Amino acid sequence: MDWEFISNLLLASVRMATPLIFLALAELYSQRAGLVHIGLEGLAAIGSLVGFLVSLITGSPLLGVAAGAAVGILVNMIYAYATINLCAEQIVYGMAINIFAPALASFIYRVYFGAGSELVQVALMRSLAAILGVTPQSFLLKLLLDQPPMVYLAYALVLFTAVYFNRTKSGLNFKAVGEYPKASATLGINVIGVKYAASVICGALAGIGGAYLTTCYATTYTDGNVAGRGFIALAAVIFGRWSAGGVLLACLFFGFCDALQIRLQVGSYGIPYQFFQMIPYIATVVVLALIGMKKAGPKGVGKPYLREER
Amino acid sequence: MKNNSKLANFLVPVISILLAFVIGCVIMAVLGANPFVALQSLWIGAFGSLRNVGTTLARSTPLIFTSLCACFAYRCGVFNLGGEGQFLMGSIVCCYIATKSGIEGLPAILLCLLGGTAAGGAWALVAGLLKVYRNQNEMIITIMLNYVATLLMGVVYTNWLRDGSVPQTASVPDADKLSRLFGLRITSAFVIAIAVGLLIYYFLFYTSKGFQLRAVGLNMTAAEFNGFAVKRYILLSFIVSGAIAGLGGSAELLGTQFRLINGFGAGYGFDGVAMALIGQLHPLATILVAIFFAALRVGSTTMQAATGVPTSVSDIIQALVIVFTVAGLAMVKLPQFKAFLGRMADKTQKEAV
Repeated sequence: MDWEFISNLLLASVRMATPLIFLALAELYSQRAGLVHIGLEGLAAIGSLVGFLVSLITGSPLLGVAAGAAVGILVNMIYAYATINLCAEQIVYGMAINIFAPALASFIYRVYFGAGSELVQVALMRSLAAILGVTPQSFLLKLLLDQPPMVYLAYALVLFTAVYFNRTKSGLNFKAVGEYPKASATLGINVIGVKYAASVICGALAGIGGAYLTTCYATTYTDGNVAGRGFIALAAVIFGRWSAGGVLLACLFFGFCDALQIRLQVGSYGIPYQFFQMIPYIATVVVLALIGMKKAGPKGVGKPYLREER
Repeated sequence: MKNNSKLANFLVPVISILLAFVIGCVIMAVLGANPFVALQSLWIGAFGSLRNVGTTLARSTPLIFTSLCACFAYRCGVFNLGGEGQFLMGSIVCCYIATKSGIEGLPAILLCLLGGTAAGGAWALVAGLLKVYRNQNEMIITIMLNYVATLLMGVVYTNWLRDGSVPQTASVPDADKLSRLFGLRITSAFVIAIAVGLLIYYFLFYTSKGFQLRAVGLNMTAAEFNGFAVKRYILLSFIVSGAIAGLGGSAELLGTQFRLINGFGAGYGFDGVAMALIGQLHPLATILVAIFFAALRVGSTTMQAATGVPTSVSDIIQALVIVFTVAGLAMVKLPQFKAFLGRMADKTQKEAV
């Protein structure tokens, strides 16, 4: 355990936490509007495939991320229509998205690349340091500069979200929809509109979270590359008590677990590497078991909203 | 009115399947294949000969187990997404007993199935205990445990029970394999699956315990006020649904796969959830849905050979069916839709007069 090990571990933690931050914020916006969304895993899968394809075709990882966001919104509109207009059960429909979106992603991949299994790779997004043309040496400079731009976007979004939900009228209205939709409607808040806006934000962020995996982390797309992050993000929202700051800390913790397992695998120590890979998943279970479920989330979550209903 | 909703429960999945096939055909046409030829080869591949029917039913067997697993848990209001992990834990324990115990023949088979069932139940119990005593979200827990089980299976076939240079376990001895029926691919595992389905059907709809379990699933608070042991039913539903999946895992190992290898059982958990939802949590309907999707998968191999359409189009069709079915079932419950139906009924009555 020397300093280099620890500093590399911390740097990797920040990188591994980033997709979780996008996904957890996606979940936060959705739940704050009363829509619990367990389909993030699926949205991230299709986002990561489209992000990969677009950045492969255009050569621009940034366009890939944008395309990932767009397809995330598109697929999430199916969820939004079914749960908001048709009042389908949110959990069940999230599950439907979890089955539909990865199947679509896998299908598009097969059709595009044919049966040939040759590994297609794509250039990753450059770090800010590389864009500026500097090579940071010290740990602190690396932490601050040697990250892809998406990382900064994630932290900016956390800051924005914290301010938005606590300090702006629109944000408070947004939260009111997730707590008591009917009371919000009598105050003149467009409940359906807010729920749709939440779904657009949720889809975009989940798509970006997925696209991060293929534009900033791994150089290729593989089926199942989201690897449960959609569900870990769900746990992060619970762990973070539905606040932007709490969600950030939870994501950093889970990101640290992920980074730790990768670092330990390299060391190996004669233990089968799969045991290290279990760390993030077991950590999630343990954390959830330890904090228990004090009901702290938005009160209207999971309940359908029918305008005509009294 | 009651008949109406029963009719809807039947019609919605059927219409969803038709719609999904229409979209599937459009996709095939876009890919440059003739949809009619494709559908024909799909049908032939799945049901064209006795041999193909046997293959389809063999393919449906693990799906029946995992879909019954999901079905049973949801009847008690528990969203068990861990069918895959429980399936794998069952197969891992089964693999150990089959290759390491030294027992052979029928006693070994029985011990294997029993061990797999117990392992599946125990794995689900972890999530059940966390749900009941820590009031935790069972969906996240079961999903996380799926990944842990998959990785544990990885350790087993790459390390602990590895056989030679290829990362896979040794094959189970011939004497431990489940017998094939009529010389087809289908094995006695299919018979076990159907028996489990019938048993669940009987339990849920013809016993007072089954009634209470469904009551817990429909309204937990009301069930609690009625003095039902809600916590005990929730735990029971976890154990039983996990046990079903574990039994499925061992039956799949002894009946079809014979060894643990990368990808064993992958995706069966979520597939089971989809099938249970399309079958609307009715055990027998769920079995039919599982056979239907197995047919789709078996047939798609023939279809790929005949038309070049990738087999994963069957996954798309399956995914579309679930997307349409769940939305459709929600739609027919909407008050606006009921009012619309009422107006239609009035109109036809007036016209008849």
